[in-house]
Amino acid sequence: MPKVTIDGKIIDVPAGTLIVEAAKPVGSHIPVFCYHPKMAPAGMCRMCLVQVGMPKMDPATKQPVVDENGQPVINWMPKLQTGCTTVVSEGMVVHTTTPQVAEARRSILEFLLTSHPLDCPVCDKGGECPLQDHTLHYGPGNTRFYVESKFHNDKAVPLSPLIMLDRERCIQCGRCVRFQDEIAGEPSLGLADRGRGLEVTTFDDPPFNSNFSGNTIDICPVGALTSRDFRFTARVFELNDYPSVCQQCAVGCNVYLGTRDNLIRRVTPRQNEAVNEVWLCDKGRLEHHYAHSPERVTTPMIRAESDLTPVSWYEALNFVANRIRPTLGESGKSMAGLAGDRLANEDLYLFQKLFREILGSNNLDHRFGWSQWNAGDALVKNFGAGVGTNLGELGKGVTALLLGADPQTEQPVLRLRLSKITRQGATLVVANGRATKLAQYASHKTIYRYGAEAYFVLGLVRAMIDAGLHKSDKANGATEYSAALNLTVAECAAKAEVSADTLKTIGETFAASENGIILFGREFMYAMQRDPAVEAALNALLILSGHFGRKNNGVIALYPRSNSMGALDMGMTPTDGGMPASEMLTKAKLLYVMGADPARENPAFKNPGFMIVQDLFMTATAQKADVVFPASAWAERDGTFTNTERRVQYFARALEPLGQARPDWAIIQELAQQLGAKWTYASAGDVMNEIAQRIPTYAKMTHARLQVNARRRASVQTVGGDAAEPVQMALGELIGVVSGAQWATFSETNADAKFDVKFVQPADSAQATAGVYLAVTRALLDCGALAQYSEIIQTRVPDASVEINSHDAEAWEIANGARVRITFESKPPRALELPARVDGSVPPGVVAVANNLDGTMNLPMGAQVQVTQVQVSQAIAD
Amino acid sequence: MFEGLRALVEGLLTTGKEMVSKPVTYQYPEIKKPVPPRFRGRHELKRHANGLEKCIGCSLCAAACPADAIYVLPAANSDQERYSPGERYAARYEINLLRCIFCGFCEEACPTGAIVLEHDYELAYYDRRSAIITKTQLLVAPPQGEQGTPRDMPDPGNLYAAIPPIKGGVEPVNIVEMAQTQV
Ligand code: SF4
Ligand code: SF4
Ligand code: SF4
Ligand code: SF4
Ligand code: FES
Repeated sequence: MPKVTIDGKIIDVPAGTLIVEAAKPVGSHIPVFCYHPKMAPAGMCRMCLVQVGMPKMDPATKQPVVDENGQPVINWMPKLQTGCTTVVSEGMVVHTTTPQVAEARRSILEFLLTSHPLDCPVCDKGGECPLQDHTLHYGPGNTRFYVESKFHNDKAVPLSPLIMLDRERCIQCGRCVRFQDEIAGEPSLGLADRGRGLEVTTFDDPPFNSNFSGNTIDICPVGALTSRDFRFTARVFELNDYPSVCQQCAVGCNVYLGTRDNLIRRVTPRQNEAVNEVWLCDKGRLEHHYAHSPERVTTPMIRAESDLTPVSWYEALNFVANRIRPTLGESGKSMAGLAGDRLANEDLYLFQKLFREILGSNNLDHRFGWSQWNAGDALVKNFGAGVGTNLGELGKGVTALLLGADPQTEQPVLRLRLSKITRQGATLVVANGRATKLAQYASHKTIYRYGAEAYFVLGLVRAMIDAGLHKSDKANGATEYSAALNLTVAECAAKAEVSADTLKTIGETFAASENGIILFGREFMYAMQRDPAVEAALNALLILSGHFGRKNNGVIALYPRSNSMGALDMGMTPTDGGMPASEMLTKAKLLYVMGADPARENPAFKNPGFMIVQDLFMTATAQKADVVFPASAWAERDGTFTNTERRVQYFARALEPLGQARPDWAIIQELAQQLGAKWTYASAGDVMNEIAQRIPTYAKMTHARLQVNARRRASVQTVGGDAAEPVQMALGELIGVVSGAQWATFSETNADAKFDVKFVQPADSAQATAGVYLAVTRALLDCGALAQYSEIIQTRVPDASVEINSHDAEAWEIANGARVRITFESKPPRALELPARVDGSVPPGVVAVANNLDGTMNLPMGAQVQVTQVQVSQAIAD
Repeated sequence: MFEGLRALVEGLLTTGKEMVSKPVTYQYPEIKKPVPPRFRGRHELKRHANGLEKCIGCSLCAAACPADAIYVLPAANSDQERYSPGERYAARYEINLLRCIFCGFCEEACPTGAIVLEHDYELAYYDRRSAIITKTQLLVAPPQGEQGTPRDMPDPGNLYAAIPPIKGGVEPVNIVEMAQTQV
């Protein structure tokens, strides 16, 4: 570790550290513009100039020369050096405050300001602008240039429906371009021209077509890139920034909800190095608009005669209670509860408590629609990735195996974080039935045959055993297992249609690696539900590789929604013979639907007798309901979500509830009280206290504990005070902030436990042999239950299309863009007509359709269709 | 006895003097006392000589206000519907005169000289709500012969270039000259 002296303070830093980073711990502030700690240095702005000297070496003795006081003699470099590109070395001396440095900073700022419009009063960055702040700290107090002589350029250039570019304000730091290239991996931006004419441009069609474009707004050190959504709705110092958690997917990115006048004006990332670092995807940034949609249901309603009529809460609750009360006790069995897994832990916990303790029914589920694949929770409970695992920091000695997942569209920020781990030295293996974005970054990537997932995993197990890399110390029945596993690697490879060598390499790499993590996604969960052999094989791979029970080891299920994990933890699954979602929709007499919309996905769905719907909108299901309870949006109450990595995170209330809407947990409590329960939860925090007592894995997870590091951002910054938080965020500082708490898995809390391994023969499913297979995928920006109420998201939703492999397209004589009719087996048989997209993302024999777009919304989802056969029957060229 | 007499005479003298001197009271409201030029009364939102609003909706006045009396809701200008020079204008501008302490900080914070505390001090209301004055009440009429806002007009330029020479008024601080004198 080199020892360096910065402003007279001596510090040891790891080799390879840049001067700007080394200066942070000693408290010397080096201003930067183009440097960002999350990206490779570029040295474009020269703001970070510092004076650097090296000890003079005696060529004879190779020892530093010392002066008469015994101090080493310093050879100062003739010119100032950029702190963001200079790596520290032993004995280096750095001065950051000399008059020379101060003069350099002043000159750089003066230079930048010669062509800067200085329209801070109308600039959305004003108040959290590094250029403003640096100018105040280090800049010249006045100008030597005439205002008229300033350089002018285009203002308000729309780069995309989301982002506005002001060319005059751009200081050409290249951060936005580098973010898109290095971090997002979607090189949508470029720098054109030269000198002061250098311009940020986009060459995409549609323009700036990236799922992560919003991040460039945050990291742009000036107001050149601003959000068109937030544009001119508030000054940043007028916002109240409440700490929250994004509700749009299972990553659970930490956000600030910036509110003004009881409206969310913008969503910005809140740093959490274990979850989202400082990034967000565009969906998380923009979907919040649904919270103040005029379409929200704001009063309780009951069906009087044939119409739903607004009534008071008292009437509505009474109506339901009167209906339920006479049947309490005996016919609880015919009541069922379906709850969406975008709801908070507190809601789901009380919901199942209402059913199990008051109504006496175990007919509870959350696995419906997009979430109906949610599987693998037993694996997670036992072998979930050890506490302290940080997916963004995986490096040397870690192999991450990604199975049947497409995080680019389903867990976008996780994709960002995983795509850098190979650069950090980790091994990333991506296996799926089709090509995904993340595969570009993989050390090994492979495409298996959909339906042959079990063979694929068994091949890995076999390869591991063959190489003698398996561990049996924590396994019961390891020897029997390897005897029962009557398949060779080659046989598995043939079934899965991958090369035997690939399978062998992956299996051996994973087993031999010091740490191993398995992440499986929705497409894999579908396979798990169809064939128990898949889960058994994964179980064996985990146990026999010994990759569980510690940090950087174990399994992560990539669930679809913000609280899918929490729903499983809270017991939102049928137990003791309760009905699962698929059954309750037809068999239940009384259905309580909370935050779910079965009628949207299945138009044939009928009101089963008596139906209570608790939602934000008049969903298709709510229109058929007998009672509608208006629920408040997530931003209108507090609570906790458990993300896909089992991290329980607190989100604060940011808005007043709309109309008479109430938090879901409060509605459930009122209903329970009407039915005679003595519940007295005063807040969501009270419910969480009970969860912490009753659910062992959630022990001690009270709101107070989860709120650590999740505080409200001060709305008014001390002008020119110590680097204020938004500026630090823009500069990517505040490194190391982590909040939330991960629950420990069984294998971690019971270090001596042994686990059974059993071989299950894979079923030769139809998909593994049949002709064409329909893969159901997702688009990130969609017409989902909430997204459809966010206009700005709707401007970016892609048109539905069917992806076809070029070989198939040739064989079927389908041109790119032609309309294609696909008929697939389902009950009843169905057909879809969509334009074809021939872009090589699917292998031959597979066609892929995203089922969350206009026209594909009620495409059957996975387990509903036993055999999905597709014939491309008719092609009409455009 | 002399003591008493003296007091009486003195008293009557004072009375007599006051009877002939000019009274200091005004017959308000018939007669209004003129206020000093820098008196800080009710605010006005000023216009440029070409009729555009000076206010660009920047909220700096609201940020400076120690009493939190100002509310600004900005919006974007367009060439077809232009309120002020540049990209942004105040769609709503409200001052709660019951909160305002007439310190003039807003005036000082304003980068365009839009908000000025003027000489109206007759600020009494029958209810609290009407003490919140809106942009329509605050905005002065356009100069004679000029159109009001919004109007169809291309962007006259940035903040400073947008200030046209003022006919017969005091020139705004010319920052070009300021820069020249400092060189
Ligand atoms: S980028 Fe910063 S310095 Fe430039 S106008 Fe905007 S707030 Fe002012
Ligand atoms: S737009 Fe912003 S981030 Fe991009 S180069 Fe310009 S100043 Fe840098
Ligand atoms: S990745 Fe998921 S949690 Fe994060 S911002 Fe996007 S939708 Fe929200
Ligand atoms: S009055 Fe002045 S300070 Fe206030 S919003 Fe308008 S321009 Fe800004
Ligand atoms: S050159 Fe170092 S921060 Fe830009």
